[in-house]
Amino acid sequence: MSVETPRTSEEPAGTQEMAAPAATAGSGPSALSRFLGGSATRNLGLVIALVILCVVGLATAGERFGSFDNALTILRLAAVVGVVSVGMTFVICGGGIDLSVGAIVALSSVWATTLATQTMAEDIHWIVMVLTALLVGGACGLVNGLLVAYGKVAPFIATLAMLASARGLAELIAQRRTQIVRDRSFIDFFGGSVIGIPVLVIIFAIVAALGWVLLNRTTFGRRTLAIGGNPEAARLAGIKVERQTAYLYVLLGLACGLAAVMLMARTTTGTSTHGQLLELDTIAAAVIGGTLLSGGRGTIVGTVLGVLIFTTLTNVFTLNNVDTSTQNVAKGVIIVAAVLLQQRLAARRRST
Amino acid sequence: MIRRTISRPVRAAAALGVVALVAAGCTSNTPEAADTTSSDSQRAGSSNDDPGDKVTIGFSGPAADHGWLGAINSAAQAEAKKFSDVEFKAAEGTNDASQQIAQVETFINDKVDAIVLLPTDGAALTEVATKAMNAGIIVVNVDREFSTPFAARTTILGDNYGMGVSAGTYACKLVKDKNLTNPVIAEIAGIDALPLTQDRSKGFADALKGCNQTVDNRVAAEFTVESGEKVASNLLQAAPKIDIIWNHDDDQGVGVMAAFDNAKRNEFAFIGGAGSANAMRWIKEGKMEATVLYPPTQAADGVRLARLLAQDKSMSDLVQVAVPRRIVLDAPVVTKDNVEEYLPLGFES
Amino acid sequence: MAGIVKRFPGVTALDGVDLDVLPGEVHCLLGQNGAGKSTLIKTLAGVHTPDEGTITWDGTEVTLGHPQAAMDMGIATMYQELDLVEGLTVAENVFLGHEKSRFGFSQRSAARAATRELLAGLGHPEISPTAEVGDLSAAGQQIVSMARALSRKARLIVMDEPSAVLDSGEVERLFDVIRQLTAQGVAVVYISHRLEEIRVIGDRVTVLKDGRTVATGLPAKETPTSEVIRLMTGRSIEYVFPERGTTPQDEPLLVVEGISRRGEFEDVSFSVRPGEVLGLAGLVGAGRSEIVETVFGARRADAGTVTVGGRRLRPGSVDSAVSAGVGLAPEERKSQALVLGDSVAHNISMATLTRFSLGGLIDRGAESEAAQELATSLELRPTGITREIRTLSGGNQQKVVLARWLLRGCRVLLLDEPTRGVDIGARSEIYALVRRLADDGVAVVVVSSEIEEVLGLSDRVLVVGDGQVLHEAPATELDEHQVLDIIMRGDAA
Repeated sequence: MSVETPRTSEEPAGTQEMAAPAATAGSGPSALSRFLGGSATRNLGLVIALVILCVVGLATAGERFGSFDNALTILRLAAVVGVVSVGMTFVICGGGIDLSVGAIVALSSVWATTLATQTMAEDIHWIVMVLTALLVGGACGLVNGLLVAYGKVAPFIATLAMLASARGLAELIAQRRTQIVRDRSFIDFFGGSVIGIPVLVIIFAIVAALGWVLLNRTTFGRRTLAIGGNPEAARLAGIKVERQTAYLYVLLGLACGLAAVMLMARTTTGTSTHGQLLELDTIAAAVIGGTLLSGGRGTIVGTVLGVLIFTTLTNVFTLNNVDTSTQNVAKGVIIVAAVLLQQRLAARRRST
Repeated sequence: MIRRTISRPVRAAAALGVVALVAAGCTSNTPEAADTTSSDSQRAGSSNDDPGDKVTIGFSGPAADHGWLGAINSAAQAEAKKFSDVEFKAAEGTNDASQQIAQVETFINDKVDAIVLLPTDGAALTEVATKAMNAGIIVVNVDREFSTPFAARTTILGDNYGMGVSAGTYACKLVKDKNLTNPVIAEIAGIDALPLTQDRSKGFADALKGCNQTVDNRVAAEFTVESGEKVASNLLQAAPKIDIIWNHDDDQGVGVMAAFDNAKRNEFAFIGGAGSANAMRWIKEGKMEATVLYPPTQAADGVRLARLLAQDKSMSDLVQVAVPRRIVLDAPVVTKDNVEEYLPLGFES
Repeated sequence: MAGIVKRFPGVTALDGVDLDVLPGEVHCLLGQNGAGKSTLIKTLAGVHTPDEGTITWDGTEVTLGHPQAAMDMGIATMYQELDLVEGLTVAENVFLGHEKSRFGFSQRSAARAATRELLAGLGHPEISPTAEVGDLSAAGQQIVSMARALSRKARLIVMDEPSAVLDSGEVERLFDVIRQLTAQGVAVVYISHRLEEIRVIGDRVTVLKDGRTVATGLPAKETPTSEVIRLMTGRSIEYVFPERGTTPQDEPLLVVEGISRRGEFEDVSFSVRPGEVLGLAGLVGAGRSEIVETVFGARRADAGTVTVGGRRLRPGSVDSAVSAGVGLAPEERKSQALVLGDSVAHNISMATLTRFSLGGLIDRGAESEAAQELATSLELRPTGITREIRTLSGGNQQKVVLARWLLRGCRVLLLDEPTRGVDIGARSEIYALVRRLADDGVAVVVVSSEIEEVLGLSDRVLVVGDGQVLHEAPATELDEHQVLDIIMRGDAA
């Protein structure tokens, strides 16, 4: 039972907000802040971090880092994590968490590359593999969603169970083998480029753009933020909290299915080892991007920046031949630095 | 707080979900007939293979969570089947040391004649193996070594350092044959924290020293296809031109190869590791220069030796009367020239 | 305290506040929302450090850089937002931060015994020291919070609206405790919105307005109410309820028949006509909130029916109630009604999203236009609809909740404690608003533990006690004493 605490306007935190009410709500005058999803102050830290990384990359690796080709490599590597991170942003914004994304990606990739599926795909079209992956991912998401929303199982537990069982099922189906994608036209399509941009990157861009619209411009997004911000208030305002929650996990499941397709194209395989630690990468990207772990607030732009920072970081380190252990140390430091920087900027913006 | 009772179509929806899953596509995966039987034809005939005293051999190994370990288990299984005088008891593969200890204890209670043991962790299984030895059971230790020599009658080891040396020596040969001046040599390691990775890298570096070369670019993956693709993509950006790449593990090699294809790069000689069937096929197709074998037949050899030891026989091609205490397997290099010979040994990953 | 100034970035919260408290007195602090009361007591508790001014304690000037410093000196604070740890037991909460321990091991039995003694002294021996605080009622938690303050052996106790969650019997016991304390020479700083309480318990009054002391040392019992309100508001307005219109005679819009929920309330029936305000009076725990939440479908009735305009609502379905045109302004505004981190506009449009959307895409222009229109007509202050709702005062937050249902075009409005935490100036506005809605043909149900409010605002009153409707009468035929009398007797009149 919580006790009401009225008269917030006396609180200092409240009065501070007076200074910049417009900026926090996205009606700020600058086009940049509009582009940054209405939380320019929050995302500015990330942009700075990314710029610093790029400067370091250029300074240490020069042309090898600065080339168009390398930029595409970074984007291509960011694509798979990025697609899932966009979905993850929705789930976290809605007050949940999903630890099973990596396992769902593995299961989807395996299911879509079994002998049976591939044979069917050969007879009909490779779209069969894509649909299978999406269907499997969506179904796993549905199970998560039903357990969390209607079964009232804590998201952490429900998706932990899914993590174990989906990866286990993937191992059973694949018999722990790596299944090679034999359909060349599948690989050619997803592995190819359109006017010089890899299809994977285009998919990522489309998913991010759709995610942005969905979160910021639709009733779906508004309801997501409402149930994450205060589920009780949302319910008493007539929002179907359970159904919305279930949708979020299905959405993320579909993102995982899509990610599985992209991974199949990238690696030409489906295997139960795909997507290892994907849950950590995606949650980290979302949180660095300013998504509140308790729900109710988050931006797609922030998440995308979070993914890019991580991918660029690995790239810069590899270009400089830095060993993995050092990379991991640096990653930890950068996570904390980016978040601290964000907080500072947000605080300064408020107080001026 | 307001509590609420929900009218929920949960069960119906859940059932629907299951149906959808089943409908999504059958999961049948007719396994490709993996020919993991070792090359009998090469072995010199001796009376050793003739049926002898009935022996019971227990086998315990880690869970087959990747292709190589799967091959280890099935090869041991297949080898035992060849002998009418062997009763083979295989315990369920596990990655839990305490469970494996329990399996060995069961073998001791069952009074088997010999145990072939590929420990999840050598040190953790040493004590129970010693106990088995003390109970008069012959223990053959495979791949991961116990911490004392008294825990096993015979130890059969793959050679991780040797793999690196083989790869490095072959790289040196390429440098010389192709007359490369100042070649760029790259290495894609497995999980860096593992001693076996460190051994392989050290062997590689040591061998390269022999021809005054060093590793110019090194990245570490995680033995998975996905990680292989990821690190290889970045590696290709780091080094615009590469002459030789050694990849520690053919499992992750599938991803590495995908990265090469994605980047349309093939200017280098690509050397693999472990010796999967995929790698052998690439060698045949000319997509791969060579691969260094880490034999997946160690446990199969262990089964043969355990049988010989239990029947008090010796190895036919040794003058020595007793089976040696320690056998370190060779890490041969498979190239286009000898790939046909090794293809049966290649494991499906 | 003299000449205290506290500035926060962008605002001066305290701008020269003087306050002197004598041993053994109850010093009441009055002021509207935003007057600086909370900041002042946080300064006193060592949470904030003043930018200017001095704090003198026992004749010597002190600096309170840290809450612990204030506590060590003997200043204990009972915050309005209860700072209890719900997962810990009563005894653990009472001794939180100054655990009874020896050699680092906590002495739990000693702590329990001491807690039991404190609670008994507070007139609540029924609260077990080993109970989990989260399981206690709001009033029980308030008592625990007070026991904690007492456990510090404080010489000055600051109470920030201690009576907000208590019913009148509990308030009486609270006053007894305060009298005991003052008799022992402990000083109390008492903050409340309820002037009548201050009359009963207070000795002297200090009034704050806009971060300044406008009057100090007023005699609590003699100063006329109108004078106090004038000081607080700077205006000379009386605390008035709006005129009632003519009693409507249309067919009832909301009909509740025989609804029950086991252990909460039984066989409750009532009906409300369009344009009518029905009040539910009763003490805390009488089942009033449970009844309106069940009508709304937030709780599922075990028996009985709710119909709106002849249409029967699906039991336990908020959705069904909302689509029939029912709206609820719940008791716990922050935890049940508002998404605090979101903007005013989004909170207003929350129940009406589909109206502003085409194929799921929100027409943000139309949305903010509608929200702005409502904000203006409800005189929301500040008027900006893009600011975060957490920065608004209680009264303005309540207006946003009402705006949400107005936008929805509600025919039935259920208001649960509509003026809790709302200051006196804003109260009159809310009352006027409720009456205006009724005049526009909305059927309104008002729940309040302030009997005066129910009587003043409603056309008709149901007196609820112990989960049952005890009495029903036109509001004009009842007075506060009668209502209390009915409740005390506890059976239907």
